[in-house]
Amino acid sequence: MNMLNSFIPALAFLFQQGDVSRLELMRNSAVNPDLSKFLVIGALLFIIGVAGVLTRRNIIVIFMSIELILNAANLNFVAFSRYLQETGSMNALAGQIFTVFVIVVAAAEAAIGLGIVIALYRNKETIWVDEIDLLKW
Amino acid sequence: MTLSGYEALFFWIFALAAIFAALLTVMARNAVHSALFLISSLVSVAALFVLAGAEFIAGVQILVYVGGVMVLFLFVIMLVNVGAEEKGREQIFNKQRQVTASLIFCFLLVAGVLYAVNKGYQGLNVLHPPREASVAAPTDQSGPPTATGTSTMTKDTERVGGSLYRYASLPFEIASVLLLVAIIGSVMLARTLKQEVSADDIDPETLQEEIARDPELAKLEPQSE
Repeated sequence: MNMLNSFIPALAFLFQQGDVSRLELMRNSAVNPDLSKFLVIGALLFIIGVAGVLTRRNIIVIFMSIELILNAANLNFVAFSRYLQETGSMNALAGQIFTVFVIVVAAAEAAIGLGIVIALYRNKETIWVDEIDLLKW
Repeated sequence: MTLSGYEALFFWIFALAAIFAALLTVMARNAVHSALFLISSLVSVAALFVLAGAEFIAGVQILVYVGGVMVLFLFVIMLVNVGAEEKGREQIFNKQRQVTASLIFCFLLVAGVLYAVNKGYQGLNVLHPPREASVAAPTDQSGPPTATGTSTMTKDTERVGGSLYRYASLPFEIASVLLLVAIIGSVMLARTLKQEVSADDIDPETLQEEIARDPELAKLEPQSE
């Protein structure tokens, strides 16, 4: 509650300096989403993934959050690839090629990681990360 | 790049769907629900890939992520399912203090990233001023007509495949070695004790301890002549 009370004036301060032309600009850019909207969506997905890694106890959900993070990076690569295609850049497709490799690495990481999870569960009978606190047992 | 009309509408629909599904992935109590929400998030991001003109990547995303990786996740969830979390007896998040600290960190990260995107985008607009819509984008090059004759096929797959082999053929081969290592590694990691004993791939002292615990294991040991 205390945090909220100091948060609301900060929000009011942020919005008071937005005059009409700025609001109009925001409305136009929302009707015509461009590169920056893709980047914002990617950033939000990335941060939700980071929050999942930091807060969850279930190791499988932590793995899924890592997939979210990788996917957010892919979204940025593809958006920049499209942007560079329209500026006429020579290697505009590099973003899409990099995305293919990110997906390959994500698949390999999921296979290895889930193998580790199964071996861990067989030895420790738990998937809660706060109960797995020894490097050797 | 600017989307307009129905493209903009679908952009917002799929962007909101991706973000809400991602939030529910992190918040869901049951791990199976988490996996299903993650699948819907991945499908929504694939739709965003289509809107950004990367049809091949969208197809790969659906096939590899949703069809392969997520099925693997669901299998493992079924294998190690504890069953206590969906009945509400277990705490799904870390301790209060840790969650508060990480949420504050995430809030700072949100502020920093949004500030960086804003600043960097202004710089980018100076570098490449946004063009008029009349300039035809390379993605608009129409390919051969489809079977129904109502639209044209995209050339994205052809172009990505061409430049994948032209500029990235060495990383492509390295990726195949990486996948081989991942296959062998996951097979080795997920072996049971019995499989390790019968493959004779176990420390002799550990083997003696395990045989003392479970005499059945001695029969599995391969006999040397």
